[in-house]
Amino acid sequence: MIKYIGKRLAQILILLVIYVAVVFFLLHSMPGGIKAILATNPTLTPAARESILKAFGLNQSLPMQFVLYLKNIFTLNLGISYSFYPTPVWTIIAQRLPRTILLFTSATLISFFVGFASGKSLAWKRGKISEYVSTVIGVIAYTIFTPLLIFTLIWFFGSFLGIFPLNQFLNPDLWLHTNLDAQTIFLYLLLTISLVGLAMLVSFILAQKISHRVKTRKIIFYISTAIASALAIFWWAVSPVGIYAFDILWHMILPVISVTIVSYAGTMLVMRDSMLETIKEDFITTARAKGLPDKVVRDKHAARTAMLPVITNFVLSMGFVVSGGVITESLFSWPGMGMTLLNSTLAKDYPLASGALIFTGIFVLFAHLIVDIVYAFLDPRIRY
Amino acid sequence: MSNTTEEMTASSEVFESPFKIKLKLMWRAFKENWKIFSESKIGMLGFWIVIIFAVAGFIVYPILASTVWKSTSLSSMVSYNPVTGYDFTIASNPAPPSLTHLLGTDPLGRDILAQLLYSTPREFALGIIAALITVFLGTTIGTISAFYGGVVDTFFMRLADLTLLFPFIPFLIVISGMMTVNLFMLALILGVLSGFGGITIILRSQAMIVKVKPFIESAKVSGASNPYIIVNHIIPNIMPLSFLYMMFNVTGAIFSEAVLSFFGLLNIRMSWGLMIYTADTAGYIVGTNIGTYWWLWLPPGAAITLICGAFYFIGRGLDEVVNPRLRRR
Amino acid sequence: MKPILEVENLKMYYSTKLGYVKAVDGISFVLNEGESLGLVGESGCGKTTTSMAIMRLLAENAEILSGHIYFKGKDLLKLNNEEMNKVRWAGISMIFQAAMNSLNPVYKVGDQIIEAIITHEPNVTFEEARERVVNLYKLVGLDPKRIDNYPHEYSGGMKQRAIIAMSLSCNPDMIIADEPTTALDVIVQDMILKEMSRIQKKLNMSMIYISHDIAVIAEVAEKIGIMYAGKLVELSDSVTIFKRPAHPYTIGLMSSFPSVKGEKKELVTIPGEPPNLLNAPDSCRFAPRCPFATKECLEKEPPYEEIEPNHFIACFHPQNLRKQVNEYAKG
Ligand SMILES: Nc1ncnc2c1ncn2[C@@H]1O[C@H](COP(=O)(O)OP(=O)(O)OP(=O)(O)O)[C@@H](O)[C@H]1O
Ligand code: SF4
Ligand SMILES: [Mg+2]
Repeated sequence: MIKYIGKRLAQILILLVIYVAVVFFLLHSMPGGIKAILATNPTLTPAARESILKAFGLNQSLPMQFVLYLKNIFTLNLGISYSFYPTPVWTIIAQRLPRTILLFTSATLISFFVGFASGKSLAWKRGKISEYVSTVIGVIAYTIFTPLLIFTLIWFFGSFLGIFPLNQFLNPDLWLHTNLDAQTIFLYLLLTISLVGLAMLVSFILAQKISHRVKTRKIIFYISTAIASALAIFWWAVSPVGIYAFDILWHMILPVISVTIVSYAGTMLVMRDSMLETIKEDFITTARAKGLPDKVVRDKHAARTAMLPVITNFVLSMGFVVSGGVITESLFSWPGMGMTLLNSTLAKDYPLASGALIFTGIFVLFAHLIVDIVYAFLDPRIRY
Repeated sequence: MSNTTEEMTASSEVFESPFKIKLKLMWRAFKENWKIFSESKIGMLGFWIVIIFAVAGFIVYPILASTVWKSTSLSSMVSYNPVTGYDFTIASNPAPPSLTHLLGTDPLGRDILAQLLYSTPREFALGIIAALITVFLGTTIGTISAFYGGVVDTFFMRLADLTLLFPFIPFLIVISGMMTVNLFMLALILGVLSGFGGITIILRSQAMIVKVKPFIESAKVSGASNPYIIVNHIIPNIMPLSFLYMMFNVTGAIFSEAVLSFFGLLNIRMSWGLMIYTADTAGYIVGTNIGTYWWLWLPPGAAITLICGAFYFIGRGLDEVVNPRLRRR
Repeated sequence: MKPILEVENLKMYYSTKLGYVKAVDGISFVLNEGESLGLVGESGCGKTTTSMAIMRLLAENAEILSGHIYFKGKDLLKLNNEEMNKVRWAGISMIFQAAMNSLNPVYKVGDQIIEAIITHEPNVTFEEARERVVNLYKLVGLDPKRIDNYPHEYSGGMKQRAIIAMSLSCNPDMIIADEPTTALDVIVQDMILKEMSRIQKKLNMSMIYISHDIAVIAEVAEKIGIMYAGKLVELSDSVTIFKRPAHPYTIGLMSSFPSVKGEKKELVTIPGEPPNLLNAPDSCRFAPRCPFATKECLEKEPPYEEIEPNHFIACFHPQNLRKQVNEYAKG
């Protein structure tokens, strides 16, 4: 297992270098070249320009420049943003990456579980009206133009029902009278959510170790999850900054729903197809013949095996979800990587744009690595 | 199958030219496949949507533009020009749908319907050019990888892996921000980028299946050169699958174009994405305006969704023709 | 002897777009406790469908038109799914034709067997169940160390043995073995069959062996039923079937296999094609290939009758092979 992960990690690193090379040579082939892109900002002082030229070795040969560029990326020296001068690019990215990670991870997890569950039961009960309806809904969600989806959502929830806030990361009126930093609270929120996630994972593994019966396992898992979530909610509720955390979460709901829908339909449709294939397998007949209850056959045998192609598909659709994320972020003014990328491009802030592009790539590569590891855990044929 | 052979011998007896026979056989195969395809509801739905859009864009628009929407010298009205039009009879723009402007006007006073129809052929052109490039590259690379194997194969497959992970839209955003991208360039970029991606993996595995078929062996024995075998034996056999993936690529290309022009990053005069962009930057899709000015975003958004969906549906329908495994009995 | 399984006039068709596939068309037989029955027939004659009907594991498009399947006196066709689940594996277990794919690739083989035990005997703890699996592994000749391996780590023969172990795990009263050894090479095939036969006798279980190869069946089954095109055409004990086959199809089948005892007989294959079960006509289905067919055979279905004690046959013109051979020899 460790060998497998190591191998994947090495592969990912190689891909990363290739990716950086592609971006580098792209920047190079732009009109004016990388020099123009990194150092021709009117707001830049001559001294700052000199230092950038030196750091990136922009007066040296092309291969040398590439090596320096690579080194700068690994040391997180990405230049200085034009539009936020003199903030270094990395500072901006470090601030915004967590927001994207949170949005992307929560939407992905939700869409995965919902898509998995609905695809599963659709395939199990074939020929019902519900199958037809949900397939149509799934296909619509799959093909809808993302901005159209988001406008519809904003119109319906924000304007028509008026229950969700529109187009903001937080409510400015609320934050006006405090000297709290939204970023700090946001990071604490992220920490809390990760802790709850960790608690769930630990209890899941413990449950597997403690008992061999599905029922007991489920009870252990659900109870500990409930306790962890209750603790987290309680802690935030009694803390004086709870209301601010709540504000951030409240503004998160619609963006999460949008990205969830974008990636949900793919999961659901693939799960349904995969499940229909799996049901025909001989080992499902064996499971039925063993006299296992219907639900056990469906969940433990069919769905568990049918899940594998869904995860593979997830890797393939990652690009799609990431672009959905860019659109979502910019339409909801969610200050993550996608919005940074778009705004810096529009503002011709090239150091920030190229930095954001590189970190979006790194983010995708690491998401891929994580999915790979999860896959290896789920499929014994790969694990050994 | 046996029918086809009989037909062939029968026709060669009356000395029909081989070309004619070939045509006849193709027509036959087409009819057979069409029958399977037309049984797929979703495929037919997509087919009809595409036909409707094509008729609207290629036939209805030119007719309308040269008759009803023609600028009359009398009033010198150019109110229906999709790019430069302005209707002076309207007090304030954007105006809601009315009898003179069936889908209303945009913030610059231009007719939405005219913009919608005007853009249709361009969307088709973009999608199909990009998909043709992709399929051409994918088929060539896929067959060459499968046929020659070894280093060539490894190289292209790893490249495909990388392309699959590539954050396309962010990449395109940055490119089009840095240089001026027009529709044709976009088609080229999209076509080339996705031509190295997943499609090569799929077509390669199909070519691998064809490669080990006996007729390839016999062609080799009879002294055919490698390029001859690739062009005459392998490519025709993976063509159906290429065609299937072409449909999915049309969807991808139109979608990408719409996203980029929606962000105002493309150098084009008019497109569905640009229509939403215009409305958005003018502040008509913000906050509560969204419901009030629905005609600014709903028609172009729906058009993008429908056309992307339609090509995707055709792809699903073709899937049943190409993959007998999926066929319902 | 007490009957354990009684199948009465079972009719099961597959409905397809083109019409009914009459896969099981009026089959009746009785299996006693501790007895072994072999079902023999060409590919596609409905053997698997029969066993699936007994297990009530039919495809979605399958329809049971008539008949009863009594297992220990209970009609299986009248049970609801929960009641049937109690019969499955604990009462009747099965070794599937596609044994290679019968194990779920994502679970350990041992766990898949334990799962069956724990489902049917909730009082058994995990450790006890595991202990039982160890014993079963020894019984079928597998190394108990392999319990915690995944199916892809087993060879074909090992999977086959694991499945046999699994079929024995809940001490069933009866096992249906559908071509248990087709995927294996001849030597392993022979070994596994002998082992199964030994275990069956030792545990005094009833057994249905299914095969297209009458020579294989002859080694292990006490009774033999010959199926042709969805019908049981002849049924008797194996000695009678081999000594006095009466149905023309059985006779043809015998002559197309070399004799089990190794006598050199001329191999005669049955001319003609196996029938299409789709919308099969109400005549003797063997008639197009039968050398003894008369007009009657094409008009009516031959009844399924007992021509001598415990020898059932569905044919208008039962043959007496010995008599004919004698006549043939005379000239
Ligand atoms: N789901 C189904 N739908 C329609 N027809 C079916 C279905 N399953 C089986 N059949 C048909 O029913 C007939 C009997 O099939 P069955 O699997 O019982 O044969 P078999 O005797 O087990 O053959 P084999 O020796 O090849 O396993 C065949 O003609 C087969 O084509
Ligand atoms: S009933 Fe007639 S056709 Fe059928 S097997 Fe007997 S003799 Fe042959
Ligand atoms: Mg069978």
